[in-house]
Amino acid sequence: MPVPTAGSVASKKRKNVKDAAVPASKPSKRRAVADTQSADAKVDIQQLEDQISESRKYYNNIATLISMLSADDAAKKPNMAVAVALCRVFSRLIAGGNMTETSRAAENEKVIVAWLKERCREYQRLLLSIIRESDSSSQITALTLCLCLINERATHLPGDDIHVWSSGLFKGIFESVVEATNGQAVLSEFIEKAKEFEDVRYFTFMQLADYATTERSSETIDILVSILSACDTVPGPEHEFESFYTKSSQKNKKVVSVNSQKKRAQDAWLAILRNNLSQSQRKNLLRIMVHNIEPWFNRPELLMDFLTDSYNVGGATSLLALSGLFFLIQEKNLDYPQFYHKLYSLLDADLLHSKHRSRFFRLMNTFLASTHLPATLIASFIKRLSRLSLNAPPPAVVAIVPFVYNLMKEHPTCSLMIHRTGDEGLDDPYDATETDPIRTNAIESSLWEIHTLQSHYHPNVAAIAHIISEQFTKQFYNLEDFLDYTYQGMLQAEVGTEDKPFKRTPVVEFQIPKRIFTDRLLEEDGGQDTAPVSLVRGLWGFA
Amino acid sequence: MPPSQLKQLKSSLRDGGLLGPQQSKKQKRQNVKSGAAAQSRIQRDSALQAIRDRFNPFEIKTTSRAKFDVTTRDKAPKSTASQARPGVTKSLGEERRRQTLLREMDRKNKVGGIMDRRFGENDPTMTPEERAAERFARESQKKLRKESMFNLEEDEDEFQLTHGGQSLSFDEANIGDDFREGDLEKNEDSDSELPRKRKRVFADGEDGPEDVDEAEEGEELPERKKSKHEVMKEVIAKSKFHKLERQKAKEDDDDLREELDKGLPDLFDMLRGVKPPPKPEPPKDDLASMNPERAALLAGESPEDPEREYDQRLKQLTFDKRSQPTDRTKTAEERAEEEAQRLKTLEAERLRRMRGDESSEDESEAEEEESEGGDSDASEESPPDDAKAFGLQLPTDQANTRPELAVEDEDDFIIDDDLVETRSDASLSFIQSDEEMESAEESEEDQDEQEDELINGFTLPEHKSGDESTAPNGTEEPGNGLAFTYPCPGSHEEFLQIVEDVSMQDLPTVVQRIRALHHPRLHSDNKTKLGRFAAVLVEHVAYMTDQAEHPPFAIVENILRHIHSLAKSHPDNVCQAYRARLRDIATDRPLNLRPSDLVILTGIAAIFPTSDHFHAIATPAHLCLARYLGQGAFNTLADLTTGTYAASLFLQYQTGSKRYMPELMNFILNTLCHLSPKEPSESLGYFPSRSPATSLRLNPSKPVSPRKLQFWDMTDLSSNTTATTITYEETKLSLITTLVTLLGTASDLWTDKSAYPEIFEPVQKVLNHVVRSCKGKVSPAARKTLQETLDRINAQLPKARHTRRPLLLHNHRPLAIKTAIPKFEESFNPNKHYDPDRERAESNRLKTEYKRERKGAMRELRKDANFIAREKLRDKKERDAEYEKKYKRLVAEVQNEEGREANAYEREKRMRQGKR
Repeated sequence: MPVPTAGSVASKKRKNVKDAAVPASKPSKRRAVADTQSADAKVDIQQLEDQISESRKYYNNIATLISMLSADDAAKKPNMAVAVALCRVFSRLIAGGNMTETSRAAENEKVIVAWLKERCREYQRLLLSIIRESDSSSQITALTLCLCLINERATHLPGDDIHVWSSGLFKGIFESVVEATNGQAVLSEFIEKAKEFEDVRYFTFMQLADYATTERSSETIDILVSILSACDTVPGPEHEFESFYTKSSQKNKKVVSVNSQKKRAQDAWLAILRNNLSQSQRKNLLRIMVHNIEPWFNRPELLMDFLTDSYNVGGATSLLALSGLFFLIQEKNLDYPQFYHKLYSLLDADLLHSKHRSRFFRLMNTFLASTHLPATLIASFIKRLSRLSLNAPPPAVVAIVPFVYNLMKEHPTCSLMIHRTGDEGLDDPYDATETDPIRTNAIESSLWEIHTLQSHYHPNVAAIAHIISEQFTKQFYNLEDFLDYTYQGMLQAEVGTEDKPFKRTPVVEFQIPKRIFTDRLLEEDGGQDTAPVSLVRGLWGFA
Repeated sequence: MPPSQLKQLKSSLRDGGLLGPQQSKKQKRQNVKSGAAAQSRIQRDSALQAIRDRFNPFEIKTTSRAKFDVTTRDKAPKSTASQARPGVTKSLGEERRRQTLLREMDRKNKVGGIMDRRFGENDPTMTPEERAAERFARESQKKLRKESMFNLEEDEDEFQLTHGGQSLSFDEANIGDDFREGDLEKNEDSDSELPRKRKRVFADGEDGPEDVDEAEEGEELPERKKSKHEVMKEVIAKSKFHKLERQKAKEDDDDLREELDKGLPDLFDMLRGVKPPPKPEPPKDDLASMNPERAALLAGESPEDPEREYDQRLKQLTFDKRSQPTDRTKTAEERAEEEAQRLKTLEAERLRRMRGDESSEDESEAEEEESEGGDSDASEESPPDDAKAFGLQLPTDQANTRPELAVEDEDDFIIDDDLVETRSDASLSFIQSDEEMESAEESEEDQDEQEDELINGFTLPEHKSGDESTAPNGTEEPGNGLAFTYPCPGSHEEFLQIVEDVSMQDLPTVVQRIRALHHPRLHSDNKTKLGRFAAVLVEHVAYMTDQAEHPPFAIVENILRHIHSLAKSHPDNVCQAYRARLRDIATDRPLNLRPSDLVILTGIAAIFPTSDHFHAIATPAHLCLARYLGQGAFNTLADLTTGTYAASLFLQYQTGSKRYMPELMNFILNTLCHLSPKEPSESLGYFPSRSPATSLRLNPSKPVSPRKLQFWDMTDLSSNTTATTITYEETKLSLITTLVTLLGTASDLWTDKSAYPEIFEPVQKVLNHVVRSCKGKVSPAARKTLQETLDRINAQLPKARHTRRPLLLHNHRPLAIKTAIPKFEESFNPNKHYDPDRERAESNRLKTEYKRERKGAMRELRKDANFIAREKLRDKKERDAEYEKKYKRLVAEVQNEEGREANAYEREKRMRQGKR
């Protein structure tokens, strides 16, 4: 008599017995309304579980439990008690070696093992579907159960450890975590695990790289990026790998090698960068580029393509790409042709009005810090900035002028732009349309723009603009002090936050005007409107 | 070996010509006759003195031998400084002490020649009351002391306190009230006839002094026949008394009349309807709170009262306006010239403020500030903030560096108010009313025309100054439904209650009445009240214009002018109110200005000098407008209208000082680009492009002509649904022409800016584009406006390019490199202190001086103490000697007597023995 049939008969019998014993227990379990009933259910599950561990003849209970778990709406509202019980059952079986095939085993033994493996796979599938679709607490429990199973399998099933991580259960876990609905909680739980255990991290990178090779939706990429950027502790060259989820990973040469870890991470990042990124994702990635992404890279030049592409997008994105690019140029000795050319082209009308203004100034401060840059190039930047300052808001002017001062201090040749004993001033030699900063002739020009800003309507801005006509006695201005001004801040500084008595009473116009809005008493002045506000009165009707 | 002292003396005497051959008698006689003898005697005396000095080794002291003779170069003072005459100085000091200190010692505790043994008389720490109490305690103690019981020689009240010749002790005879009828009578009498006699308290004063007084008065004596002389005396006294009575009655009448006369001006004022000046505070109030002694002094009981009064009157006369020659009445031309002069100085002042005096003061101060800031920051261990030096974070510092603003003399209010307030002081009470009236007249004359216009024309009803309890409806007049009196509102809610029933047209009248009723001259509280009222008005202007029903601008204007007028007298309140509004704008709606905000900002343009380099109101107002223009979202035509108004206002702010405003250009050019019928094919300049949510391009079906924009377009365009497309297109075109006009004005303002070409090249491009794209869509008049402005800028640009020179900003004198060579002092004097830090040098100098003075004072004091001890010892010795002498004399006397007795006894004895 083949065992499977016996098993099926036994299971039928069991079912019958069960049905007879507790006819009302199943539906009540499903509804899970009354405490007593659910308690009964728990007792039942416990009993089934105990029976399995008692003897082999009760193996059919596994099928019963799985069928309980895989009831029609189980994916939405799983019975986690059953899942936990099953996990225990399988753990015991795996640990007890009941699921290992030995060549010497009898045929029927092999059949049993095969049957058990089949049940185990079925159980894993159910768990993964729970992770995908259930509510968050069940998701987390399922995730934990899955990881338990992985642990057991990797520990006790020889030859299964690599398989279970790379292609088996863990792949399923990763995919279902990424694709889970309402998966915030389970995702963070997963990230926790990945951060804590080095082998989990390693295989996560591996799965991620694999997963991201195909085009994914932007939400998915967001999730992938969040996983990757959460793993931000790059192991140093002498890193000791200590925390492992499964003990067997210790023996895995690849997991404990720094290089291979970095390689995996690099692959993962590259896979993401090559995916179709939205504009905001690109900006976000550029923002974390230097601190989070670059350290993982054994070969940073691989980032080059991405950065160049981003740089060519224009606008704020290029601004962000700049810092990454500059980092590569500076640290990794990369060659980037026409860097300053492109930097110069970034100085357009919107730059000074964008919210990245201060960031850009910080970067530009670094880029132009070298004293080996040609003075003509520096002059072009100075001239372009001062040209832009004619249309800039006060906070930008406040940053530009000290910046120009510092540049002039660094490159004294450029002070020709503020002091030139030439004769009759002809047209401005500066060519604003020239894109090459070397050829703009800016050094032949003068900074009339900043000179004009000395009569800016805001007294403080005017005072700052005056520094270029003073002697350059100060070594340099600390640019940081000038960057973070806003209209709001400046206004706040002027009007304060509450009523304070004046240190000096403000002056009041001595003459009370005859008219402000209307043409009152206009005849007295002979029709000539000389009172204040005459300009507005001339242009506007007040009725 | 030098010769002996004696020989030296002899030789020196001989050298001095003191020892010589004796003169003959004849010679002597001759010398006496010619006066040579006296001459030679003086000579001889001086020579003798010199010799004596030379031979007295203690007379001259070489105090300090030069320690390092070689290194000191100043030998000159050695001869004088190193030689002292201790004997002389000592005797001089002694003499001086004898004259001052000794005399003081002798006079100590003495009044006249008598020792003053009164308790606490020389104790300055005791107050008179304490002294009296202590003396009284002493006396009662003394009385209780038992030892006096057996003292046969002294009576118990041998030592008694007196006042005014009367005993102060509570004897059994005198127990009772201090006040007696007799006192008064006595005083009167003494005034009229009897010279008052000061009574001594007798040693056996069993009957009190009162009794003695009574015993002396004639009337009180028991009846006896009066002599004729006495009767006559009585009659005369009586007639004198009656005369006095009559006189007194007359004086009373006079007083009464004077009193009434004094009230007459008030009465007249009342009749004329002018508020009487506040009555001076009765001086009694002051006296009540004063020290009683001083009060007594001031109350006129003190003997020097007449003099004081005289002084006071004299002072009043000198300060009296009438005593000074008045300026002669000025002619019309003179007055005009004066006015012109005044305006000129004001304008100069304004220009100075506009420049912000940055040329010299600001920089140095900024430098200082910077260095100071650096110091303080260093102590706080944080790096110095470069931006702070430009006042970016500390707006208050900026205020410090502003030029000193002189008090504006022409503002009559401030000065008048001060005068009024000081005059209410009690001391100058009696000519107050006159002066008050005069000053009032004067101020009336001086007052600004506008001031008169604003407040006058409204006569004051009978009214208690500052009486807030007057209900608004209490004195309501049925005629025009306006009350005459209103309480001064302290908050906007109160004001709203007041004007609840008042029609909009009457609002200026109400404000005028409130101001007139609470004129600061009427009550001291009114100044603060009006200040609050001014703030309320500012709020109300904003409130009014926010109402759905637009108030007429004549009213708003009137209120604004009221605010202006109040701002001159209460600048702080008005400025605070404006700042509060600006703060509201900045925090609540920086990018969404309301019409009320624009009205307020327009008010600022009229009330405050917007041309100032820094102004506590104007600068934030600039920033508000700039922020709105620079960052605001202009999506609808109404938004654009608001923005255009703000731009006009912004440019208006700078018509005086012609400062550059980037946001204005950005806004105008951007708006023009988006209003023009066609989109420009390429970027026309460096201004950022912000396109509205929906296209607002001019797209008329037939050519339209512009109109004058109306202020309320900014709300009407959004709310009014009936507006046709034609009006929309009209408005668009009007906006275009207005903006272009603004560009023309800006071009005129900024012609002399060095970056004029850079600023106006984009303008040229934009205008070209607008003109080209408007072709055939606008009326010829509009085209003409655009073309005119374009032509003006076209003409101006090459001119500006040609006149422009390269910058020559660093024409500074080259800075000297810092040297490390030590600074040598020519002709260095080690005694002089070369401290470069003046303050430290000064303090060092003071320290040494103090030390020296202290030493000197201590030495003097020590010498004084020595002297005193010596004198005391001398005194004691004298007294001892005297006592000894007396003792000896007495002993001798006794011995004498005893000796005689002994002799007698001896004789007797001998006789007896002899008898025997």
